[in-house]
Amino acid sequence: MSLAEFSQWVSGLDLFTSLRESALAYPVIMSLHLSSIAVFGGLILVTDLRLLGLAMPNMTVSNIIAQTRIWKRIGFVIMVTCGILLGGAKLDKYYDNPYFQLKLLFLMLVGVHAIAFHRSVYGNAAELDRAPAIPSVAKTAACLSLVLWISILSFGRWIAYYERPGERGAPVTSSQPVNRVSPAQ
Amino acid sequence: MLLAYDPATNLLNTTEWAFPFFECIHIASFAMSVGTIALVDLRLLGLGMRHQTAAQLVKDTMLWTLAGLIIVITSGLVIFTSDPLRYYYNPSFRLKIICLLIAVIYNYTIHRKVAMSKAPPFVNMLVGVLSLLLWVTIVFAGLFYAFT
Repeated sequence: MSLAEFSQWVSGLDLFTSLRESALAYPVIMSLHLSSIAVFGGLILVTDLRLLGLAMPNMTVSNIIAQTRIWKRIGFVIMVTCGILLGGAKLDKYYDNPYFQLKLLFLMLVGVHAIAFHRSVYGNAAELDRAPAIPSVAKTAACLSLVLWISILSFGRWIAYYERPGERGAPVTSSQPVNRVSPAQ
Repeated sequence: MLLAYDPATNLLNTTEWAFPFFECIHIASFAMSVGTIALVDLRLLGLGMRHQTAAQLVKDTMLWTLAGLIIVITSGLVIFTSDPLRYYYNPSFRLKIICLLIAVIYNYTIHRKVAMSKAPPFVNMLVGVLSLLLWVTIVFAGLFYAFT
């Protein structure tokens, strides 16, 4: 089974077909996906800014990591669940979309990031509290985290703008932004 | 001058990248503004950040919330110029703007006042829930705009 056939089979499943064809469920899930960026993404941002010494100076690093952990996990589960539903419903269109592929790659890099910096940063917060200044490895982890998540968010948005070669100028559907005006007016 | 404005000449409509670029800025900055407000809301609801007072969290996040709001509203205005009339007549967009005005005023009056004081738990919870509801409604209305 080729990737194209697999993608068509996935998006043809009853769940994904009815989701794609629903006028309400699809935008609701997309809104939930975006709402979780606000809550969950904000927590990551605050943690990264704390590691960079730019925000929350009154909270220790260990305190902020410990207290945001559960909500990051809850947000991540909601976000990924919605993402699978959205991606699955249109997998036949997305599987060869370079922005979709980059988004998946960068999500895997988030996992690599978490493993790579666990011992030195995220699982070592008490040590960071005692350090006179935040070590550069923690700042590097925070910068990379920001770059990864902003990239993922941007790739996610750009998915909607990709057109397969040969399918350019295909009619715009209601789920895609339609703000672009033809320059040839 | 205003009547002569033609969206077809707008950079957002004449380039491939400008519209999605501003959308990305818009999304990243709402994560910053709403995310930092949500942090205070979690505390008001007693669901997280319990080692800090809500007042302390407001003080610590204030600048980032404000910076986020300024960027999110500015990028929103830029996106608005791509097709002002279509936005203006869209009911989702109108709901979004009304909720946004209420949410911003609410954030800097009632929300702030309650977070900075020692209010009883049920008042805190009410204020936190209302705040989250307002901001999530704005996200929903913003997205539903594209589907109507």
